Order: sequence, then structure tokens, then C-alpha cells
Amino acid sequence: MILLYFDPGLGAMIVQAIIAAVAGVVLFSKNLMYKIKLFLGLVKKDDKDVFDDIDVKDSDIDNKNTSEQ
Amino acid sequence: MNNKSAHSSSFRDPSGYVFIENNEVKRVVNPIYFNQYNALSESGFFNKLFKNELLIPHEEISKTEDKVIIKAEKIPFVTYPYEWSFNMYKEAALLTLKLQKYSLENGFSLKDASAFNVTFNKGKAIFIDTLSFDFYNEDSPWRAYKQFITHFFGPLVLAHFHGADQLKLLSSFIDGISVKMISSMLPTRTKLNPLLYSNIHLLAKLEDKHNEDYKNESKVAKLSKKGQLNIIESLYNYIKKLELKEKSEWGNYYDKTNYSDNAFDEKSTIINNWVKDIAPKTLIDVGGNDGTFVRKLDAAIDTALVGDIDNNAVDFNYKTMKQSQERFMLPFLLDVLNPAPSIGLNNEERDAFINRVKAFAPDVTLALAVIHHISLSGNVPFARSAEFFAKFSKYLIIEFPKRNDSWVQRLLNNKAEFKNHFEHYNLSNFENTYAEFFEVLETKAISNSERVMFFLKRKKC
Repeated sequence: MILLYFDPGLGAMIVQAIIAAVAGVVLFSKNLMYKIKLFLGLVKKDDKDVFDDIDVKDSDIDNKNTSEQ
Repeated sequence: MNNKSAHSSSFRDPSGYVFIENNEVKRVVNPIYFNQYNALSESGFFNKLFKNELLIPHEEISKTEDKVIIKAEKIPFVTYPYEWSFNMYKEAALLTLKLQKYSLENGFSLKDASAFNVTFNKGKAIFIDTLSFDFYNEDSPWRAYKQFITHFFGPLVLAHFHGADQLKLLSSFIDGISVKMISSMLPTRTKLNPLLYSNIHLLAKLEDKHNEDYKNESKVAKLSKKGQLNIIESLYNYIKKLELKEKSEWGNYYDKTNYSDNAFDEKSTIINNWVKDIAPKTLIDVGGNDGTFVRKLDAAIDTALVGDIDNNAVDFNYKTMKQSQERFMLPFLLDVLNPAPSIGLNNEERDAFINRVKAFAPDVTLALAVIHHISLSGNVPFARSAEFFAKFSKYLIIEFPKRNDSWVQRLLNNKAEFKNHFEHYNLSNFENTYAEFFEVLETKAISNSERVMFFLKRKKC
């Protein structure tokens, strides 16, 4: 582990445990709401969304353009 | 240590540094980072990120016991965070979180989360700091977490509540906006939002409390990997949905202009005829709005810088670029009267706009419907604006709205009793002054309008 060349902030290191707990609850409840909405048919598909989801894609199908430079 | 002269922005990280050699971007990796570098290369981690165009590609060009040298793909024009529109900023933030998640899943972690580690190339945000990846230590919190908040999350949330101009704060606070300041600027009701409360207000409180607590430094903070992933995913979901509060005026820009569809088409025909002779590969449009005119060009452009002063216009251009997956377009925020300055150590860590655009040396510059704003709103004399354009344009296509143009009239009327001081704003004055810096190749009036197009070539200085 290379020592950091900037101060990560002691408070910021300690507080992450609390933030993670809050995040866990938020994610769980959002997920639950999503499932309920899905069940009730209230989910709208947004085709105009320009952002991907968080996961890095495994297949290379989406990356055909890489070779064009 | 630095026997090759390091790039002026590359001095913070002991793992290595960037240098420019024969116009190529190279990076020295120091022995202190060899273990990480080898693990990242051999595990296929780097390759996967290259394939997904998330990290700037590089190739190893030499490897000795005391240093590895890699050559990175060169980005034609580097934009900085304070030149991004709201959604560009969002994409850069999401990219950083995506990389951190992918790193964690593969036993690595980002050791910093500076917004300057990201820029835009080929229609996407791309991470350019190859040496930012370190090994992940089991159960350790994310050391770059605070930096992510001060560089990305904070500015975005501030922009949500107070408008996109907040994103420019990073040009004054090169190392991020302090959590305390972010917390103090947010409305009190944000304390009721669990995510904003914990990531900003609580963080500010604890940072304040531990600020002077030097004795406690050895205290080890622990956080499971699952916990860290929760933070990252919740921030990702929140940022992805974040919108500006200000009503956008997308899509009706050209409804507000004062010339007919015919004049609009004629204008683009004139430009296309001139551009055909130059066959430009690179261009800059200094008042490019949402990129409409650049998209009408009949030329195989590799990189088109399209700057505008208005966040909404740049954002609209960006969304169009995303939706049609354009790779040549590079939208960015540009205020001709106050372009991004040189900032940071020795005033050379982040380069001024004018230096970057000089180095980029676009084949042609477009300045459509901007000269009246520069001259009349900004009170810039023709000689000074001509000097500005001559600094970086080989060819300049500029549109001059005459005194009777309705926009010009409006701007002149704003001058009230000083209206008479702007007598110099007329066609012959413009042409004579610009002819001192440029050779006038051709002029063409747009029919049924008060506008004249000029095709100029820079004189050899």
C-alpha cells in the first residue's frame, strides 16, 4: 500500500462505516419499492437515458468501435 | 528522481510521472509501484478497461529495474471539470464510481478520486490517471472517499440546488470544495435526506471533530467490502438520477434566432462551400450552441471542439452526441470573455484554454453569431477580438450581423445613452480591422438578413 500523498481525512475514514449502513438501508428500501412498483406495473422504461449502469460489461460486443482509431 | 522532465501537472503521485517526448505522452512508473503495475497488467485488468474505453490505453515501451516507461494514447484536447456541462460532470463522476466498483471486485482500489483524473475523448468520459489503482486491503475504508465527495458529489449536489455555475467552483478550489463549505451551502432540508445527511452533513461534522485530533491517528477504521460497495452503489444511483432544478430551454434555441429557415440553410451552404476547400480534420466553434452547425458540415472531422457559454446548450449538445454515439464531437463550456485560466502550482498545473487551443491548432475556427456579443456585450474592440482569433485559427469563418440586425439593435438599445459610443460597430470598420490580422478570402451576405459571412486566412506574423 503506497502511502497517500493527500490527507484522506480521519473523520472521513471513520464515518464511512455509518454511511455504509445508511446506504445499505437506502439501497434495500429503494430495491423494495422498485419491486413493488414492478409488481403493480408502475415502472416506466426510460430509453433516453444516456448513462450505463454501474457494472463494467463482460462481453466485447459493445466495443466494436475500439479498433477504429 | 525526475530525470526526464515531468509534465507540469504530474508531481503529486510518487508512483510515477507523465512527460511529453516528441509530442507523445509517456509515463514513468517508479519501482515503488512495480507490484501494482505488474498485477494490473498481468491480470488483464488494464486490458478490460481499455476494451471498454474506460481507461486511456497505453503500451509498455521499456522496462528496466529502476523504471518502466509506458506510452499513452494522446488526447487531442483535454477539457477540465470547470469546462464540463452538468451531465458531462455526472458522467465523469459515474465513471469514477464504476471504476472503483470494478477495482474492488478485482482486488484493487482507487487511491485518489480527483476530477482531474477524468477527461472527455471520442464522445465519452475517460480515466487518464493510469497509476491511480492500488491493491485493496481487506476491510479498509475507501481512502479516496472524501476526495470523491469534494471533487464530484458535492459540486453536483450544489449544482442541483443552485445551478450549473457551481461546477466552476473547482477552478478556484483545485483540490475540491471543502465538505464544510458544501454542507453550509446546502438547504437545511437536505438534512432530512439520509443520503445527503450521511455523505455531506455528517461527514462535515466528523471531519471537523477529528480535524485537530492528532493523537488518535493510529486508530484503525474498518469497513467491510460489502459496506463500501453499498456506499458506491448508493452514490451511483443518486448521481445518475440527479437533475438540474433550473428549467432547461433545450430544443428551442433556433426558434429564438431572427432569421428564416432559408437563411439558416443558406448560411450552412456558404460554410460548407468554404470548408470543402480546406478539408479540415479539426475545428473549433467558439459559439457553437448545441452543435447544430457543426453537424451540418460536410467534412470528415476527427475532433470538433464546440464551445458555448451556456450550460444548457452544451448539455444539449452532449446529450445529442451521446444519443447518436458521435465520436468526433467534444462539447465544452467556453466564455470567450473569460476562458479557463492557468491554475495550480506555478500557475501551470492546469493549462489555460488559450494555450491548449493553440497546441490543438484547429484547421478552421467557426465564430457564428458571436462577434456582436463579444463587441457589444463585452465592449471588446475589433482589434482585440481579431487578435484573439488570430492566436489559434489558421482559417476563420466569422459571421457579422450588421447594425440593423434585430439582435444588434437590442444590444445597442441596452447601451441607452451610450449608444453613440458604439458607432464603430459597422461592416467596413470590422472588415478593415480584421484585414490587419487576416487575409479576406471571400465575403458573402446572407440574403434576406442583415448578416454577412467572412472567410479569412491568418496572415503570417
